[in-house]
Amino acid sequence: MKILLMGNPNVGKSVFFNRLTGANVIESNYPGTTVDYTKGYMRIEGEDVEIIDVPGAFSLEPKDKAEEVAAKMLRENRDATVVCVIDASKVERGLYLALEIMEEGYPLVIALNMWDVAEDKNIQIDVARLKEILGVPVVHTVAISGEGFRELVSKIKETVPVEMDKIIKRAGGEA
Amino acid sequence: MRKKLSEMLYGEEGMVTSIEDELKNKVAGMGIRVGKKLKMFTRQPIKGPVVVEVDGANTSLGLGIADKIMVEVEK
Repeated sequence: MKILLMGNPNVGKSVFFNRLTGANVIESNYPGTTVDYTKGYMRIEGEDVEIIDVPGAFSLEPKDKAEEVAAKMLRENRDATVVCVIDASKVERGLYLALEIMEEGYPLVIALNMWDVAEDKNIQIDVARLKEILGVPVVHTVAISGEGFRELVSKIKETVPVEMDKIIKRAGGEA
Repeated sequence: MRKKLSEMLYGEEGMVTSIEDELKNKVAGMGIRVGKKLKMFTRQPIKGPVVVEVDGANTSLGLGIADKIMVEVEK
């Protein structure tokens, strides 16, 4: 089994990676720096699982080197489950990427990270409703403290691909 | 008043009214779409990029892109 950690730049993907694998990778993402991916392993229910820390991207339509690598990694790992890390205080653009990934047919789990920051900013997110519309697990997390990780890991094997038409209908739009 | 995003002044706020079609997907990933509220944060000199605030996050846009986004500026 393979897990791709994806999300916008600076949402905490590498902190996620370190926490899940027990590694201690320090990554940066300055414009112009070579942007690459990191690979590690963790165990879920006795199975060795490969985790790939994918460079940050806003969209699967690449505009820069990091996004090129991200889109390529996704397409080269058709059998992967994606953990989409979203900054809970900037949900809209995170969901844009998540939906793009789901549209490609990948099973996905959403981690609303930096939940504490969103709370401080008084941002309220209806997680239950989001789950219901999207049809995928949505977990709120604080990567630096580890809050929500046990739940997140338990959902990784549960998620399945969702059809876009169904999401549009559940959101009240016209398919 | 309607103007190009590139013409917004420092500190001005407005709502996106139109985006050129071929750009729509490009900027959607950064949270910019029709109906979205923006605030001009910085305009870099010498035809440099503009930085706008969207949903509490700062996003920079090249001048070429900012020229193709129309905004209704609040008075």
